[in-house]
Amino acid sequence: MIQKDKEDFLTRLQEHKLIIYKICNSYCKNMSDRDDLAQEISYQLWRSFHHFNGSVKFSTWMYRVALNVAITFYRKTRANEAIIQLGEPDTEIEDRKEDSSELEKNKGLLQQFINELKELDKALMILYLEENSYSEMSEILGITETNVATRISRIKDKLKQRFSTINN
Amino acid sequence: MEDITLRNLWKAQDEKLDRTMKQNLFIIESMQKQKAQSKLNGLARLKLVAVILGVLWALFLGVLIYGNQLRNMYFTISVGMIMLITIAAVIAYIRHIALIKELDYSQSITDTQKKLARLQASTFNNRFILLQTPFYTTWFWSTEMIQASITKFCLIAVPITLLFTILTIWLYKNLTPLKMHKKWVSYLLKNDPEQVPVIQAQKFLNEIEEFKTAC
Repeated sequence: MIQKDKEDFLTRLQEHKLIIYKICNSYCKNMSDRDDLAQEISYQLWRSFHHFNGSVKFSTWMYRVALNVAITFYRKTRANEAIIQLGEPDTEIEDRKEDSSELEKNKGLLQQFINELKELDKALMILYLEENSYSEMSEILGITETNVATRISRIKDKLKQRFSTINN
Repeated sequence: MEDITLRNLWKAQDEKLDRTMKQNLFIIESMQKQKAQSKLNGLARLKLVAVILGVLWALFLGVLIYGNQLRNMYFTISVGMIMLITIAAVIAYIRHIALIKELDYSQSITDTQKKLARLQASTFNNRFILLQTPFYTTWFWSTEMIQASITKFCLIAVPITLLFTILTIWLYKNLTPLKMHKKWVSYLLKNDPEQVPVIQAQKFLNEIEEFKTAC
């Protein structure tokens, strides 16, 4: 890959790094896994970058690669999850203890809810919260727009119920 | 809870994540070196080992057939069948490796994940390997052995082969994902550590199908 492509890739990666962080945070429960996944995603993006021909938006292409890598990683590491959890403290939980504001509590609840979703629903919800259109979500996930809408509505209903149960 | 509130909560994580995720995403050169050491992932590596062992086994069987020079029909047919099934398994595994290497993460999530799960669940599709089992009970037969004691042959050797044949066909028919609801299939597979990823893959395939169709 020529130097210009490399610079172009690094600039785009810098612009979208928060997407990678959020995906890692949603698919991994501990810091070391998050770091490994972030590395794996950026490596796979770099490896596939020469295939990116601009037929879709860069973010659409990036979501596909990142979510595919994250789901594959999640399924591989899920078996070891229980052991890892016992050995390593969850830094997010530690942080939450210090934050007592309503905002922090709700942020934590939302993240917890996302973490508990099944891998495909999780991908859908991340795309929704990142304000992708239904057509983009349909393209990234490979399902119909109607299906996207129905599933989001169901997940949001569950989420509302969850928030109301906890906050009341 | 309104959409806007949810999205604001989601966005509120940005700063914290930027602070806590200290990972450097931009060390591409060192990553490439690291990854080059293991070009194939675990699944492909496992299948590659199976291909190497399969080729060696098929070659060994070929040498045995060649050495026998068709002197014993039972030996030639039995070993020949085992060799053919081994070759078919090697071909199936080579196809899997090619599929793994061709896997494109930039395709849609459901398509890519379906391909991956199918690869992991492929043990079910390779159950034709079981069909070689009865031939392990016939390779040592010979005309001399049969003529020497036809009664013993009919009372011991033939029933054993028949039993293995029936058992093999029965297992071949029943050991499929469609029969996972049966207790014994589920018990057999869940207690075999090698089958656990296969079961998970099959379960995930069902989830993908449900995800694609549920409205």
